[in-house]
Amino acid sequence: MRTEAVTGEAAGATSQDVAPLLRIDGLAKRFGSLQALADVSLALMPGEVHCLLGENGAGKSTLCNLVFGVHSPDAGQMVLDGAPYTPRSPADALNHGIAMVHQHFSLVPDLTVVDNMLLGQSRGVLDRKACAARLETMRERYGLALDPYARIQDLSVGERQRVEIVKCLVREPRLLVLDEPTAVLLPAEIEALLAVCERVAAQGCGVVLVTHKLAEIRLVARRATVLRGGRVVARSDAPAQEIDLLVRAMIQRDLQAPASPLTPERAVKQVAHETLPPREMALLADGLTVRDADGVLRLDNFTLMVAPGEIVAVAGVEGNGQSELGAVLSGMLKPTEGRFHIFGVEMTGQSPKTLTAAGCGVVPEDRHALACVTGMNVAENMMLDRLGRYKKYGLLDREALNRAARDLMQRFDVRAAGPEVAFGGLSGGNQQKAVLARELTLDPLRFLLAAQPTRGLDVGAVEAIYGHIRAVAARGVGVLLISSELEELLAVADRIVVLYRGRLMGSCKADPAERPRIGAWMAGQETLSTAPEEALA
Amino acid sequence: MSTALTLWRSVRPGPALGMSVAAVALALLIGALMVALMGVPVGEAVAAFADGAWGSPYALAASINRALVFMLVGLGFVLAERANLTNVGGEGQIAVGGIAATAFALWPPVAGLPFGLAFIVPMLGACVAGALWGGIAGVLKVKAGTNEVIATLLLSFIAVWMVYGSVQSEQLLRRPMTTSATLPESLEIPLATQLPLLLGDASVPLHAGLPIGLVFAVVVAVVLGFTVLGLRLRATGLNARAARRAGMAVDRLTVGVLCAAGALGGLAGACMLQGEQYTLKAGFSSGYGFDGLVVGLLARGSVPGVIAGSLLFGFLRSGGINMEMVAQVPTALVVVIQGLIIVILAGAALAIQRMEARR
Repeated sequence: MRTEAVTGEAAGATSQDVAPLLRIDGLAKRFGSLQALADVSLALMPGEVHCLLGENGAGKSTLCNLVFGVHSPDAGQMVLDGAPYTPRSPADALNHGIAMVHQHFSLVPDLTVVDNMLLGQSRGVLDRKACAARLETMRERYGLALDPYARIQDLSVGERQRVEIVKCLVREPRLLVLDEPTAVLLPAEIEALLAVCERVAAQGCGVVLVTHKLAEIRLVARRATVLRGGRVVARSDAPAQEIDLLVRAMIQRDLQAPASPLTPERAVKQVAHETLPPREMALLADGLTVRDADGVLRLDNFTLMVAPGEIVAVAGVEGNGQSELGAVLSGMLKPTEGRFHIFGVEMTGQSPKTLTAAGCGVVPEDRHALACVTGMNVAENMMLDRLGRYKKYGLLDREALNRAARDLMQRFDVRAAGPEVAFGGLSGGNQQKAVLARELTLDPLRFLLAAQPTRGLDVGAVEAIYGHIRAVAARGVGVLLISSELEELLAVADRIVVLYRGRLMGSCKADPAERPRIGAWMAGQETLSTAPEEALA
Repeated sequence: MSTALTLWRSVRPGPALGMSVAAVALALLIGALMVALMGVPVGEAVAAFADGAWGSPYALAASINRALVFMLVGLGFVLAERANLTNVGGEGQIAVGGIAATAFALWPPVAGLPFGLAFIVPMLGACVAGALWGGIAGVLKVKAGTNEVIATLLLSFIAVWMVYGSVQSEQLLRRPMTTSATLPESLEIPLATQLPLLLGDASVPLHAGLPIGLVFAVVVAVVLGFTVLGLRLRATGLNARAARRAGMAVDRLTVGVLCAAGALGGLAGACMLQGEQYTLKAGFSSGYGFDGLVVGLLARGSVPGVIAGSLLFGFLRSGGINMEMVAQVPTALVVVIQGLIIVILAGAALAIQRMEARR
């Protein structure tokens, strides 16, 4: 690995004689006062999977957006197959054979999968049958299964991502850019996706994979480039052997255990939840059942107790009832049947306001839709549920609000120029930390529901977030953690339960030795006959 | 239109001010050109316009009274807009306000009330009626998901016809029929219930509605800019689901803010009736609610913007009427100019957005 000493070095001058597919030379981009990219050069070869690494806000997404024509660079140029490449729009990039899967989906929720595929790709009469057939061939080729006539709004986040990926693949691109595509996928799905990447690359296409997950680099990356603060800080031609170095370059500090940043230093607590009377349970969910508009069972008789101070994790493949469970427990959805109690008080169907007053903190799965108002500033967002506290003579006491926010920002390491900065301008990790800061400082906080709290975050942020969650649990707060990151759950939780098709498959201690059992449950198997252990390793 | 105006809303304040002035100037220039094309000497028309708009103390006061009505309706629009609600029901809110003010003013006990209550009670009645009218749209939205644009607009038509109906029947507000020539209108309201003239002189018809309206302008500006309620409205407007999740009573805010907007519209109706017209007639609201709506749209959520816009529209209306009487230029020209201002601003906003996108 070379650590960049001289910037602007001719990045294409690798040992290979093959001409690069896309050569990026000295790209720079500034947004307001933020220099998002500065003098970034790299060469993407045909037939290779190139991993782009970096912490939140390192400039990875900006680089992708420049390549895809979403923004135009302030300086620098790109050369595609020997010809100058200056995409003026994403459509232009697509015509050049560059396809991109964005971090945020661009799907129309009201339309079906097929209609979304046809959007912008077809004129005149819609040939839905042909499109469905094409989807079928995609499934055969890449193992990406989709119901062509399902409406996007009825799909889980993971399934929606699958639609986005398939949307790109049907175009048979020359260069496929994936901006953190695995953040929402589960181990088995990730493996399938990585296999897709390799297959696409084997056909001579270039693949750029933006990721935080070091295991993926080990599996597929031919080469890797690390960005930090908008600059290239390291490159590697053998990333699988240089993971430690890459991680260090990425965050510029040593981690004790790079592969799993969470050190399970806590002695497994003796959780006395059998001995507690039900009304002292932080959460008592009794037979929660959710049927969707079509009468499909999304959550099936879900029964669970969370003791005070206990961290219970709900694992499972995305789309198996986790979203519905989260919606019910956060007061956004009324269950078809069943009830739940928080410390003995029934909360079924109560408004979010009542839940908040009862001490339920909620970190929702869909941050942008439910947890923040991106058009408002950081302080307003961090105090969104307690704005009423900052009053003086009946007017808003903005000074006190900003002071309180600044204090929280410091405690939770929310990095922003100040409390009055627009929330939408923060990186995903900092937004999530801000939301977590708000929910964890609820007064009183007695139960915390955190759904996918670390999705898309870098290792440092993940560590910080679980540190905070553990700290509140130590104070006696019951925590229900819904996540698809099994490794993280194993490190942080006391107990793991698994959801499969809305049903609770089983419950066990959060012990890495239980992995085979958990894996079997996630795959819908009650017994241990064929545990897909390797899929979860 | 809404897309273009969304763009207009996103223009930064600095350029927006310059653009507004330029758009008004350009629209007036085109108006002058049209006058010339009509064969009317432009100088004569402009003189007639200026004379009608601000040529005499009376004309100036009349313009300001019009502006007051536009301002109140515009304030209601801006208030609701903060919660991402589009209140296009100003016309109907004026109408129900006028009906209520007339009914209270003509109710014998009211005229005998001391301490100015005689004119305040009808005003309050008008506010309550307007609030009710706005609130209906709010409840429909919260309970049934009816779009407030549709609800407020259709409620306006109902209210306008209610004015018509209420002056047709002696059981309601029609003055007793003495001859077959008695017009379908209400009795003139008693002197005590009329808004006191500020200068005590009928040749400068500024009335007590003006200071009251300005107080409300300050209140709206403070609520939007400096209170927790203002922040909550903004949060609700930008992301209602997140606001609900954060414990805000989004439904109550929605109904409440539409009630408040309606109350301001009702107050505008009271000012028109108790301050200028004194009798309720069919067509009483005369489209002022829609002019006020345009003022609100152009103000981009700013209270000073509402005041500036309503003054402009007040002068345009007054000047236009005089221009028709003196220079035989149809007053419809004013509507053309108003339309031109909107089109120019929306077009300029679109151009700015295109330019920024290219950069």
